[in-house]
Amino acid sequence: MAQLSGTGRLADDLFLMAHSDVTGKPLLQPRAIGLGLAGALLAELMLSGRICAGPDGVAVADPTPPWEELARVILGALLSEREQRPVGDWLLFLARTAVADVARRLAQSGYLARVAGRRGWRGGRWVPVDADCAFAPLVRVRPALVPSRPVTVPAACLAGLAAACGLAPRMFSYAPPNATRRCLDEAVGRLDPVLRHLITQTQAAVDSAVLSLRV
Amino acid sequence: MMSRTQTAGSKPSAVSRALARDRLGVPAVLGFVLAGVAPLTVAAGVIPTAYATTGLTAIPAAFLVVAVILGIFAAGYVAMARRITNSGAFYAFVARGLGRPAGVAAALVALVAYTFLQVGLYGALGPAAASEAAEHLHVHAAWWQWALGAWVVIAVLGLLRVDITGWVLGVLLTAEILVIIAETLSGLAHPAGGHLSFATLSPAGVASAGFGTFGVLAVVAVLGFVGFEQAPVLAEEARDARRTIPAATYAALGMIAVVYAGASWAMAAHAGQSQVVTAAGRQGPGLLFGLGGNGLSQAAQFLFLTSLFAAALAFHNVVWRYIYALGRENVLPAALGRTGGNNIPKTASLTQSLTGLATIGIYAAAGWNPMARLFFWLGTTGGFGILLLLTLTAAAVILFFARDPHGENAWRRLIAPALAATLLAGVVVLAVKNYHTLLGVPPGDLAAWALPASYAAAAAIGLGWGLILKLWRPRTYAAIGLGAHAITGQLTPSTERAPS
Repeated sequence: MAQLSGTGRLADDLFLMAHSDVTGKPLLQPRAIGLGLAGALLAELMLSGRICAGPDGVAVADPTPPWEELARVILGALLSEREQRPVGDWLLFLARTAVADVARRLAQSGYLARVAGRRGWRGGRWVPVDADCAFAPLVRVRPALVPSRPVTVPAACLAGLAAACGLAPRMFSYAPPNATRRCLDEAVGRLDPVLRHLITQTQAAVDSAVLSLRV
Repeated sequence: MMSRTQTAGSKPSAVSRALARDRLGVPAVLGFVLAGVAPLTVAAGVIPTAYATTGLTAIPAAFLVVAVILGIFAAGYVAMARRITNSGAFYAFVARGLGRPAGVAAALVALVAYTFLQVGLYGALGPAAASEAAEHLHVHAAWWQWALGAWVVIAVLGLLRVDITGWVLGVLLTAEILVIIAETLSGLAHPAGGHLSFATLSPAGVASAGFGTFGVLAVVAVLGFVGFEQAPVLAEEARDARRTIPAATYAALGMIAVVYAGASWAMAAHAGQSQVVTAAGRQGPGLLFGLGGNGLSQAAQFLFLTSLFAAALAFHNVVWRYIYALGRENVLPAALGRTGGNNIPKTASLTQSLTGLATIGIYAAAGWNPMARLFFWLGTTGGFGILLLLTLTAAAVILFFARDPHGENAWRRLIAPALAATLLAGVVVLAVKNYHTLLGVPPGDLAAWALPASYAAAAAIGLGWGLILKLWRPRTYAAIGLGAHAITGQLTPSTERAPS
């Protein structure tokens, strides 16, 4: 059942931010959304203490299976890799299926509905069930954009990842007039180094995709 | 879906296999490279204009000789490309090899060179479109009006981030190459005087009109090869960076050399070595089109137009990528490195488009000849800039591997780049001294020193800015050359770090 407070999961919020709250159409290039969501999925596992990223790559800190299905599957993939891989590799790997996976998760939570395409053979589109709930993440992110408002770690993380995949113009267009880029950078700068590293790696991956014209 | 990967733990890495599936093989990388090379633009645009403007006939030989030099250069180039991030840009090599201030200088030289190459194309696109429209549609408009029309389309496509890729590109390229080969064979089958002469292919002919003319010929030839250096742009996307990038680079060099040497030889053989310069002056691109029958000629003229258009779009993308990468590094204003809605690097794309508009405007107002003074002058000056960058990069390769051999053999890390650097430096010197021959102007003409001097100015500004950054903004200074990875400080691509 869709609620204004959201599912509480980073990737869900990022998905809703990256798509139109009314029509569900993507507002970014497909690869950029995929990389952003991949970063958000990894961030969810980091915030729950299951994984951490060091100079050697991403490692599993706590192998207890999470109760959420998608997180469980990703943790399983991390555990089944014999060697540690850098964050960038995991971003590229997860980005391949992130959009579909997160959309399915949001549908199960009641935020998205599948609408059949006009031409029968073309797959349908995911459309938000409630436009206000779909818009809510843009409001949740606001404290990270304005000075002297207390920012929670998830909000700062969401803002950082959204900016990394190219949603900064959108965030700022719906933010109060005293919102500045510098506040966003400071909010992200106060995050744990591991989360910061994840956000910069996501940014670099998206920029590389733009540069190599494979976005 | 995702659950399949859980059972793959005993097999070789699921992540490696999944990422490899996504990646590009040699044909895709080769296609990307050849798109920027635009075969018909060179064969019908550059070569006849070169014959007419320089008055030199050893152009076919020049392509072969330069191909060998670039092949030697490529050995060290691709070896170093594997080891650095942002390997799609010459300035990254120079920054890592010769130091960051030199890197900024190289970046500005590259910006100027690729900009000349892009805006110069309008000087051929305008007249070609005008003549096609006059002939087939009976519409008569000035070259610059057609150039502006093309500019609008390219500016819009650039903003929409459209690139001609995939099967459209494959079809166009294949058609261009086939047409050139057909024209070449037809021309060779009907040589002047009934007797096929190999004189223009002889490497000895390259210095026949004086040793300095080799510099001039080499600039023309390098112009033909520009684009081959773009293969490393896709290094992080390539299936096996160790093999795919070198294979695509050498394949491109080989194909380009054969096609251009063949086409220029056919033109000289068909017109006769002593007549080809005057014939080129009279016919322009028709020198190539006229080698075959009427049907072939019509097809070639149409494909010439599409080739020019594709090349203009391809170089637009090269220039905004440079601007964007430098903006990401904060070497240029950060606004140039930002994307707008839909991940479009609007500011970078618009900046490049504006320089094109300004150039068309200046040439239209001044009434200068577009084919000779816009297309050929700016095009060859762009080629000269690439020649400078190749020389600097060869030197950078030597110093990079001198600090740490990275396990490369002596040929790739020292002998080949040293040989290439020496040869290329020699060519640069000869070209500068004979620049007036390249432009077809009297010695001492303003253009003959102003055009090459623009690079000296760009390099000086770049060096100065690099040193200022070192003092003023050390963090930005530290990230020079890293492009998209400026934000992470990552020096080596991940494909090199993880053992495969």
